[in-house]
Amino acid sequence: MSTTPTGTRRATIIDRISLPLKIVAGLVFAFLVAPSLVVIPMSFSDSREIMFPPRGFSWMLYREYFAGPEWVASTIESTVVATGATALSLAAGVPVAYALVRSRLFGMAIVRVFVMMPILVPTIVFALGLYIYFARLGISGSTLSLILGHAVHNVPFVVLVVIAGLRQVNPNIEVAAQVLGASVLRTFFSVVLPMIASSILAAGLFSFLISFDEVVIAWFLSSPRTMTLPIKMYSSIQWEVSAVLSAISTLLTLLSLVICVVGVALREKEA
Amino acid sequence: MSRTLTGPVPASTLWQAKRASPDYQKAWFSAPAILLIAAVFVIPLAIVLLQSLYREGFTLQGYEQILGSTLFWRILRTTLEITLEASLISLLLGYPVAYFISQLNRTQRAIAMIFVLLPFWTSILVKSFAFIVILGEQGIVKNLLRQLLSYELSGSMVFNRIGVMVGMVHFLIPFCVFPILNNLLAQPPELRRAALIMGASRRQVFFRVTFLLSIPAIVAAAAMTVVLSIGVFVTPALLGGRRDMMVANLIDYYTREALDWNMAAALSIMLLAVSGALIWVLSRVDNADRH
Repeated sequence: MSTTPTGTRRATIIDRISLPLKIVAGLVFAFLVAPSLVVIPMSFSDSREIMFPPRGFSWMLYREYFAGPEWVASTIESTVVATGATALSLAAGVPVAYALVRSRLFGMAIVRVFVMMPILVPTIVFALGLYIYFARLGISGSTLSLILGHAVHNVPFVVLVVIAGLRQVNPNIEVAAQVLGASVLRTFFSVVLPMIASSILAAGLFSFLISFDEVVIAWFLSSPRTMTLPIKMYSSIQWEVSAVLSAISTLLTLLSLVICVVGVALREKEA
Repeated sequence: MSRTLTGPVPASTLWQAKRASPDYQKAWFSAPAILLIAAVFVIPLAIVLLQSLYREGFTLQGYEQILGSTLFWRILRTTLEITLEASLISLLLGYPVAYFISQLNRTQRAIAMIFVLLPFWTSILVKSFAFIVILGEQGIVKNLLRQLLSYELSGSMVFNRIGVMVGMVHFLIPFCVFPILNNLLAQPPELRRAALIMGASRRQVFFRVTFLLSIPAIVAAAAMTVVLSIGVFVTPALLGGRRDMMVANLIDYYTREALDWNMAAALSIMLLAVSGALIWVLSRVDNADRH
């Protein structure tokens, strides 16, 4: 996540870690990973009863998930929404990140605040606005409305990741391209984009995951026809607390783990 | 299209030159994002504002009704209580973790970060489900107490305030660790070494150098946790009881159950105002600290 120029030789005599600190940190780490570690063994249980530690071993709950038409449909819906939202948020977020890092125009400070607004406003307020707006436009409950809502929600995250990537790139390379006669547009597409490809990929993966797991906007915008996986899970937890949830949770944890490791590796590579 | 200008330039071409300047051209790259956010963020928020003032014509009824209802004040109190308590606990737990990670070498740090990043990227629903299992009647905590200490914990640990706080703190800790860790890693180690050489004890080095320098990051983390938790919707709905309803749940109730958009919108505007005020106060603290 972060690196410093003085990263290597920090562990000097001053910085010896005391035992109480180790204990506190260890307990908090245990607390942080506990939910992920609990759902995994439970997902292989051979009974529908929810208990820990689970009894027996079987793939029953996974079979139940893949054979449940509602679970499969909501997973497909979430995949479609997350893919669309990621494409849109990258299309909007990558260029604006470039403008924010490279243009010294006075108005850019305002643009920065403007594109960061979606993380400053509580999601519930934004979700209510979208709900009324899309109802007026007559597209409420559609997949398109979910894609639009999630795309805006994700723009600030894309911008932050891409800005960090752009800061690692030497601007003189772009100057060289322009001196050699490339237009600003051509420079962006043939010089800048290839140089920040791994940041864009990381931003895309994060955006996909944020949208795939997003609940509040989806809760307001989805209809029975466009129910996303988190919404299906939400109602399942609220009404029945079905054991299938542990299988789904394990799969989602795996997805998070993969995206988080790949994303971090991509950004490390660039740094 | 970069043009090199040499010698005196007539005013008419100066304007053209300005338009052709790379800064100006690059600013155009903001256009897609501005369009998207204007169309799908600014307009919806404006609609919420208008809706909060509209009920068959302009009215302040929505706001009056809210301010006059005891239910609202109770829920606002619950919301602020949960927000402030959860933020405080997360900072108290997040700081030592950030400090611990900052003392590790690069490889160890990468491994330790997985423990913070994995929960950060885990779906809130996975976490809520897991905490219902962990804290429930037949859950791990109660069973461990029964088997190891043969102690029967009276009272429930989930579907009440305890459940909400556990879920919220778990959700917020990573948001505290990131800014504080960045700050600690950016502090030049020479400062601490110098303090030590000048005869400060390790405790003094921490409290009078490291901690003081990390205050801006603590404030930033606090602002983040406050904004995140004040509008929280899922955690109180799934891990809380009826009395842990927060403002976001009330907005949901008016929108989808009572179908009173005017009330829902007025509540949203008030939530926005409260969270905006809290951010403003925290940013003042941050600025005051820097001068």
